[in-house]
Amino acid sequence: MHKKIVLAASLGIVFAYCAVALLAPVIAPYDPHAITGAPLSPPDRDHLLGTNDLAQDIFSGLIWGTRATLLLGFVGAAIAVTVGTAAGIVSGYYGGLIDEAVMRLLDVAMTIPIFPLLLILTTFFRPGIYLIAVLMGLLGSFQGVRLIRSQVLSLAVADFVVGTRALGAGDGYIMARHILPGVLPLAGVKFVTSAQHFMLIGIGLGFLGITDPSVVDWGQMINRASQNGAMILGLWWWLIPPGLAVTLISLALAWLGYACEDEINPRLRVMRV
Amino acid sequence: MNGIYLLKRLITSFAAFCIAVTIMFALLRLMPGDYITMYLEAIYRYAPPDVVEAFNHVYGLDRPILEQYVIYLLDAFRGNWGYSFIYKVPVLTVIGERLVWTLILLLPATILATLAGIGIGAYSGWRRGSKTDIALLNSMIIIRAIPSYWLALMILIIFAYYLNLFPLGGYVDTGALTTGIDPLDVANHAVLPVLTLFLFSVTGTYYLMRSSMLMTAGEDYITTARAKGLDELMILRKHALKNAMLPMVTLITFECAGMITGSIFVETIFSWPGLGMLTYKALAVRDLPLLQGILLIDTLFVIAANIAADLIYPLVDPRVQVGDDA
Amino acid sequence: MTAMSDALLEVRGLKVGFPTPEGLVRASDTVDLEIYPRETLGLIGETGSGKTVLGMAILRLLQPNTIIEGEIRYRGRDLLSLPEAEMQRVRGREIGIVLQNSGTSLNPVYTVGTQIAEAVILHQGLSGPDARQRAVELLDAVGIPDPVRMAGEYPHRFSGGMRERALIATALACRPNLLIADEPTKGLDAVTKRGIVDLFSEIDRDHSVLFITHDIETAGDLATRVAVMYAGEIVEIGGAEEVLGDPAHPYTRGLLASLPERGMQPIPGSAPSLITLPSGCRFSPRCGCAVENCSREHPGLVEVGSGHYARCMLYD
Repeated sequence: MHKKIVLAASLGIVFAYCAVALLAPVIAPYDPHAITGAPLSPPDRDHLLGTNDLAQDIFSGLIWGTRATLLLGFVGAAIAVTVGTAAGIVSGYYGGLIDEAVMRLLDVAMTIPIFPLLLILTTFFRPGIYLIAVLMGLLGSFQGVRLIRSQVLSLAVADFVVGTRALGAGDGYIMARHILPGVLPLAGVKFVTSAQHFMLIGIGLGFLGITDPSVVDWGQMINRASQNGAMILGLWWWLIPPGLAVTLISLALAWLGYACEDEINPRLRVMRV
Repeated sequence: MNGIYLLKRLITSFAAFCIAVTIMFALLRLMPGDYITMYLEAIYRYAPPDVVEAFNHVYGLDRPILEQYVIYLLDAFRGNWGYSFIYKVPVLTVIGERLVWTLILLLPATILATLAGIGIGAYSGWRRGSKTDIALLNSMIIIRAIPSYWLALMILIIFAYYLNLFPLGGYVDTGALTTGIDPLDVANHAVLPVLTLFLFSVTGTYYLMRSSMLMTAGEDYITTARAKGLDELMILRKHALKNAMLPMVTLITFECAGMITGSIFVETIFSWPGLGMLTYKALAVRDLPLLQGILLIDTLFVIAANIAADLIYPLVDPRVQVGDDA
Repeated sequence: MTAMSDALLEVRGLKVGFPTPEGLVRASDTVDLEIYPRETLGLIGETGSGKTVLGMAILRLLQPNTIIEGEIRYRGRDLLSLPEAEMQRVRGREIGIVLQNSGTSLNPVYTVGTQIAEAVILHQGLSGPDARQRAVELLDAVGIPDPVRMAGEYPHRFSGGMRERALIATALACRPNLLIADEPTKGLDAVTKRGIVDLFSEIDRDHSVLFITHDIETAGDLATRVAVMYAGEIVEIGGAEEVLGDPAHPYTRGLLASLPERGMQPIPGSAPSLITLPSGCRFSPRCGCAVENCSREHPGLVEVGSGHYARCMLYD
């Protein structure tokens, strides 16, 4: 029972974030970039979470920031999972030289630390938010290839696959109709955990100052607050909300991921939550 | 097989290093506009044409591209990683100074996190489904879901700002200007960043160890041990722990790569003068040679962790031995 | 059935259930049996009939959430109510067990000698070198060639038959009174299997043995008495010659008829799920002799000969 409550709460949080992102223009009282009153004013009726040093409304920034967060997470995860699943299926299904080549390439790619590389690439290309998401997705797809491949290896020798081949089915047909459905649950779990990971990383980039100037992101907000003395001045409404917002969605996705993983991996299933 | 495996690892490592260098070379060449002019302007606010030309010559930017690439690659292997634009000294010198400071944080944090993660994870996995297991698992999921930069900030606010137990940042007190660096003072400054990195890393090790232990606990040889009349603690210590730790040897190298990421945020927030803070500074002014140096040193760090794992693995798993065809 | 006080092990009304999300799996239902000193009891049944669970239940090796009711009396003491610490002194020393999967039942990271010596050090208080020596003797006794060298080897160096022998040596290390052997010939080729059967015919001169197998011929070779399990119940029990020579229960007859040399006629249908058992006699849906009453009334064990019992309406 407890498990179901946590699962429902996680799903609820994710949907709520999606709704806020979609309805941002309706919910947010101000343009997050606009100067809306006195700088550093504490929360009041006009500014639910006060204003920052540039007199921008923090509540509006928080609302609009949802968009960047979800976009970074979900677009990044979609790319990572698509690339990882496609490469994993091809590599595991054909085996032989193709598989060997893919695996050796992965070995090499996974020796280069991804985060510093991501920092350099995003800095270099003066990033737009989509570019950041795409770069994260591509660099983050490596682990997924291994995961999917190992699943495909066992599926490729399964009786129903061998049987279908005996009926004269082509490789493309077998991969699409018999292998892909077999790895979809795993890819689904990977999507959830990747989305969580990419949200944290994407907001982390914002925190390090690598950010798309045209969007509001929570990392940038946290960075701005901590760099401009929100902590020393005790301006909690400036520093705390964006951090809590990212932690909450991260937690929801983490729990969702564990719950899904539990479902598809019965050997580890032990009433996790 | 192990010999061949190690050879494969060396080739992979070599290729990874080359690719990291190649990416940086390509980026430098792709840079819009004249690289030297841009940087001279960015740093000194003017760029006389003759100076630009002189720099281009020094850096070999006036030679054919293939030749530039070969020289660049060879230089990278020789440890000639260029000059940092902000510090105006060789990149390796800057990195060498900062590496020590990063290791002061990373070594204790990694060692403590590994030991604690293995210990707690093993217990949790062994007592699966118990109240303790579920409480531990949920706290770990929560800690892991908190972004490391946010965790660092919260730890800083609570322990340094409100409770005033530790310094707010930096690596020594201002008193060090007159009295010199006191190791105890440094340790005092290191507590909070090490704690953050520890929390960041322990969750990963815990989760891996717990899963590994869940697998091991269901193995037949555990039942054999029980059938011999061994008590639970002996079975855990002698039979389960050793087997459950086998996959950890390779998985811990992944955690090492993760620690690099963690240290960038943690050092930035705690103003710790290591590679992470250096990365932040280099990013702010787009000091590409320095960033390249950091990428290369991080790559070498991962390579070293991988090779260490390869060498340790046969020592702990008798099924993998030199000359074995396992 | 009358309880006899001279039995080494008496199982009375044993019920074992595994709670699962789909329902309670009744792996063992009101099982009664006894094992006398120096006899080999062959426990025969198909995969999933509950025979492995019975063996594991005797040593309390099942998962902690398993529901166990009844009594398991070893020399008069009820093993099910022993404190865990005392149970540990029974395991290995009083009752040894050879688990089903020899390939995975030895710890891959310790040498075979170490694993045998472990039990000796624990129960007999021998020093390391003495225990080591004992391990070598045991390996020699179970027919491992070059035992001194093999004691220092890891399990992955052992072949299937040798692993089985090593496991038997482990189980025998502290000279237990009762040895439970769970399918020790499973997955072995004919020659290796013969060797293991021969080894058991030596062992059962000094030990009581509960020999669990789905292989009727092996049971016939080794067992003095035989019990046949179907869907968690004992359906027939008695002297080996009576049960296998003149089977009373239609299931036992079916098993014998399915042997290759007797025409390989399989029993129609398949074994029932242990969650939703058929009403009445559990074998009735597959039974050729079933009458109307069989699906309504659950038969008890009926004496059909001297010490020979069968659970069937035919004899009611």
